[in-house]
Amino acid sequence: MSHRRYSVEESGRPAVFPPEALQRIDAILARYPTKQAALLPVLWVAQETWGWISKEAAEEVARILDLPPAHVDGVLTFYTMYNLKPVGRHLLQVCTSISCHLAGAERLLEHCQKKLGIGLEETTPDGEFSLVEVECIAGCDKAPSIMVNDTYFEPVDEKRLDEILQSLPAGAAK
Amino acid sequence: MSSAPKPGGDPKPGVPSTGDAGKPSGAPPGTPPSAPPPDKKTFTVTFDGKPIEVPKDVNLIEAAKLAGIEIPHFCFHPRLSVVGQCRMCLVEVEGIPKIQAACTTPLKDGLSIKTKTEKVVQSRAANMEFLLINHPLDCPICDQAGECKLQDNSFGYGDQKSDYDERKRQYPGFDRTLIGPHVIADMTRCIQCTRCIRFCQEIAGTGELTFLDRGGRTLVWTHDGKPLANDWSACAADVCPVGALTAREFRFRSRVWYLQKTASVCPGCNIGCNISVETQNSVVYRFLPRLNPEVNDYWLCDYGRFSSEKLNQRDIEKATVRENGEPKDAIVPVAVQRIAREIRQTIEGPGPGGLFFLGSAHLSNEENFLLRKLADHLACGNRDATVDRSRVRRMKSKTEWIEGDHFGANFAGAKDMGMSPADGGYGLEDVLSGKASPEVVFIADAAFGEAVNNPDKVAALRRARFLAVAGRTANALTRAADVVLPTASLAEREGTFTNVQGRVQKFSRAFLPKPPIRAAWELILLLAEALDFGDRNWKPDDLLRMIEAEVADYAGVQGDELAGGGFMKKGLFVSTGAL
Amino acid sequence: MAEEKVLLARVGKKDSRGIRGYMDDGGYKALKTVLTGGWTPEKLTDEVKRSGLRGRGGAGFPTGMKWGFVPKDTKGKPVYLLCNADESEPGTFKDRLMMEEDPHQVIEGIILSAYALRCRTAYIYIRGEFYLGARVLDDALAEARREGFLGENILGSGYSLDLWVHRGAGAYICGEETGLIESLEGKRGQPRIKPPFPAVSGVFAAPTIVNNVETLACVVHIVNRGAEWFAKIGRNEKNTGPKLYCLSGPVNRPGVYEAPMGLQMKELIFGDAYGQGMKNGRKVKVVIPGGASAAMLTPDEIEDCPLDFDGLAAKKSMLGSAAIIVMNEDTCIVNAAQNLSKFFAHESCGQCTPCREGTPWLHTVLTRIEAGEGRLEDIDLLERISNQMGNGMTICVFSDAAIAPVLSSIAKFREEYRHHVTEKRCLVGPGAAALVTA
Repeated sequence: MSHRRYSVEESGRPAVFPPEALQRIDAILARYPTKQAALLPVLWVAQETWGWISKEAAEEVARILDLPPAHVDGVLTFYTMYNLKPVGRHLLQVCTSISCHLAGAERLLEHCQKKLGIGLEETTPDGEFSLVEVECIAGCDKAPSIMVNDTYFEPVDEKRLDEILQSLPAGAAK
Repeated sequence: MSSAPKPGGDPKPGVPSTGDAGKPSGAPPGTPPSAPPPDKKTFTVTFDGKPIEVPKDVNLIEAAKLAGIEIPHFCFHPRLSVVGQCRMCLVEVEGIPKIQAACTTPLKDGLSIKTKTEKVVQSRAANMEFLLINHPLDCPICDQAGECKLQDNSFGYGDQKSDYDERKRQYPGFDRTLIGPHVIADMTRCIQCTRCIRFCQEIAGTGELTFLDRGGRTLVWTHDGKPLANDWSACAADVCPVGALTAREFRFRSRVWYLQKTASVCPGCNIGCNISVETQNSVVYRFLPRLNPEVNDYWLCDYGRFSSEKLNQRDIEKATVRENGEPKDAIVPVAVQRIAREIRQTIEGPGPGGLFFLGSAHLSNEENFLLRKLADHLACGNRDATVDRSRVRRMKSKTEWIEGDHFGANFAGAKDMGMSPADGGYGLEDVLSGKASPEVVFIADAAFGEAVNNPDKVAALRRARFLAVAGRTANALTRAADVVLPTASLAEREGTFTNVQGRVQKFSRAFLPKPPIRAAWELILLLAEALDFGDRNWKPDDLLRMIEAEVADYAGVQGDELAGGGFMKKGLFVSTGAL
Repeated sequence: MAEEKVLLARVGKKDSRGIRGYMDDGGYKALKTVLTGGWTPEKLTDEVKRSGLRGRGGAGFPTGMKWGFVPKDTKGKPVYLLCNADESEPGTFKDRLMMEEDPHQVIEGIILSAYALRCRTAYIYIRGEFYLGARVLDDALAEARREGFLGENILGSGYSLDLWVHRGAGAYICGEETGLIESLEGKRGQPRIKPPFPAVSGVFAAPTIVNNVETLACVVHIVNRGAEWFAKIGRNEKNTGPKLYCLSGPVNRPGVYEAPMGLQMKELIFGDAYGQGMKNGRKVKVVIPGGASAAMLTPDEIEDCPLDFDGLAAKKSMLGSAAIIVMNEDTCIVNAAQNLSKFFAHESCGQCTPCREGTPWLHTVLTRIEAGEGRLEDIDLLERISNQMGNGMTICVFSDAAIAPVLSSIAKFREEYRHHVTEKRCLVGPGAAALVTA
């Protein structure tokens, strides 16, 4: 079953957007008649800046857009793509909706868990991989379809998955 | 159900509000049939075959209420945006095949609504089942029991059974949690109606609450570290139709069905919010807002609401008279006679200029009026009433924000009643500063302001040869006084207050004070009688008649509109009680 | 018998994304025709009306008529056009292809439609997962601006338009047009009460038209080749134009196929130009014709089954987003329904009681049956829950979608459900051999 998206975690440090992010935010704001409308795009900027959206980041976004922080929380937790806690360098998103399901997505998902030694919504201790189950990502003709960060890999069976994991660049030694 | 529609919660008929919805309207009699139809102010809507004229600006649920038909609902609230989420108010609308939510169906002329069809009955039962499958049904330990819409609607419209045989949803970490100074949240009971969220967004304007997550996992919460702490936070618990948000102060104190409700006016400040004083066995348990669209609408601020506990405070249960420097218990008539004697002696000696009478912003118009009349009778112009200023408190009426900044509900009324120095007379400042030195000081409210615990100011008052006060709780002033009379709390007496808008509002007595405690007006009347003024049979109503006759701008104050800010539904004051 | 491709004509070409290639293939000709050829917005709207174009997002509402709902007098408010690129219906992947491979076709369609609506600002609301699509569109928009097809005074016509990509962030319900509007306004994507309809009061409380990617792309070709040409394509005058079909499941050649509206289902699954039949020669057990939200069809029902709005409505299902999901004889129907119910329980926005409570309940019961712990009365219960959720019980049609696979699978495969309950195992497929253990 779905994981609950209730808490926006603290990062323990203030969230200050770097200048280039602020420039992007300015450009985004210019596209809409209200500041609130920029919320989703600005949250994307935050996620791209920090890899996830901390409580501090949510508060900073709320401040910039003149919104109650609770409103930002409501939006953050409604949409599943905002990471409410840090995720690994490679976020594996395995689709288990009907077409991928028919093509064996659950087996693939199980394989991922075994291979990585983590459960859903978890991150490997080295911070390399996180694993989530997602609903249909419009890769149904090449099922099962997965995404790693922003890139589609499809179709993927167990063997192909191992190859993909191999091919992903490793991060700096932790 | 069949009772005639009441003129609602509107204390001032004629002022537009949902409250005057019940007034007959339509074409004026005598309009010639050939004339173009007058611009109709109403719609004709048919409920279950019965046509009724309803104002154009009410919701369909309210319109049905006017027709004597209850449409069950949870998320609809007359003062919050319409979201149509709970789906309890489903009805059939002629011409539309699908069942419709009443609250979101725009009112229009000729609309025909069916509220009793099989489809409607089944839909309501379905919704009740859905609402209850994950509800803990912990009514025996829930404070909302007795004023819970889930209970009411389940009883009225539910099927009383379900095939749900799964584990109920749990919200670990989101149950029985204090989310602000006053509100405790228990998400297991929440039905996701968003009234609380909308209250904080739309009325308080603070937006502390939000939905988190979505689907069956949705819950209501605050942003971490920013609690639900706006000035009206407990209203979020008021609007909660279930026990998901409850007021900390009232939790586990009483079952609501034991509480007696008395229409009153909040003593907290000069906005004069209409309240229901809820009592049991001569104890005040809580204040709830009482609908008055012109003043506090459906709301009450936390400061006022939780001042209710002060009404239970009492140190002074008997009269005392100082003998040889020591206060001794006395019966009230003796204590009053003693005051009368001192007053007479002063009049006979230095004259009425040696007397000083102090009214109060906490006393009713009737009490201040009677005190001023007594001073007049004694030819004494030395009288006053003062008020301490508070920070600005705000309250949203149906149409506007009202501001108050007094500790005390009736400073305006006290002044209207003439509790100011007459020409040539002196006031409290003169006494405190030493400019005036009365022989006898009579203070009708020993808690009239901060001064009562200020040693210098009490000393200044104490310079009088004789100091008499009426009070409920002990303070530096009562300890310094020669005679102390035990006086009633707001809950123990009746009268009227005049608020910052100039609105005269009546408060009723919830219970009798325990003898020998008496209302201030009774004590003043006793004193007056001892000084050959007044009639012992006078009651606040008689005093109000005199006020009407004598006080400028109070003509016509007797009347229907004084009856208060709307009728109260037994149980909840919200929504269905609106009309 | 593959027809001439219109919408997918350029897919697969080298550099199909760039504006040069697009213009070399006649791109932005329609825009020039309209903006410099004296077309009024009314003329364009009329052309679209006459073409019979119906919305490709799912509901099949006539596009020209929808445009006509924008009030003549907008009381000073701007009109917004939102391109619905939140393609999230399970089994649907046509818009992704169009945006990734031929973005200018979509953009030209949007500009034309915006002109018809006198809209000065338009947004492409694209689902968050389409990172690539969003990047491709952003690049294409920059190109279009450089060429003067966007921005101030387009082609010297005096008409100006801003067009922006707006990314969603993972919520199926934002494909519902009012959910999309809420989301674009920076809120949770909870569908709105209608009325007011978006054409009267939509995003930013202004008149708003929401059209699907494919719908808007069609406008380009309607201008280029005329309403009559468009109207002649398709099975009948109510189901016109070229259509993209998304074929998935265990067929030999799944993919996006373009065909005249009304292609026979069997042709799509078995035709040489399309799916080329079932993998490993297995038989069709069931087909979902319009994405997860559409009622399932049995092999009998797909015998004469034109894939268009009315053809599928006649079978009490729907064309929806034209996502044809095929399941073969090894598919356990309970397992499939359970998977679909997971989707709906996950994606319900949660505002309406019947959907918020009903979708997880359906999922829980189906999961129990699937795990071999079902009871016979559960089957009736599933139907009862479903019947309490649909037909106006909620603000939007999400819960009607959620119950479609449940009700249709029970209606058509009740015995298989019974078997699953009594035998605690699937009737068919890998699960049939062993007792299911939880």
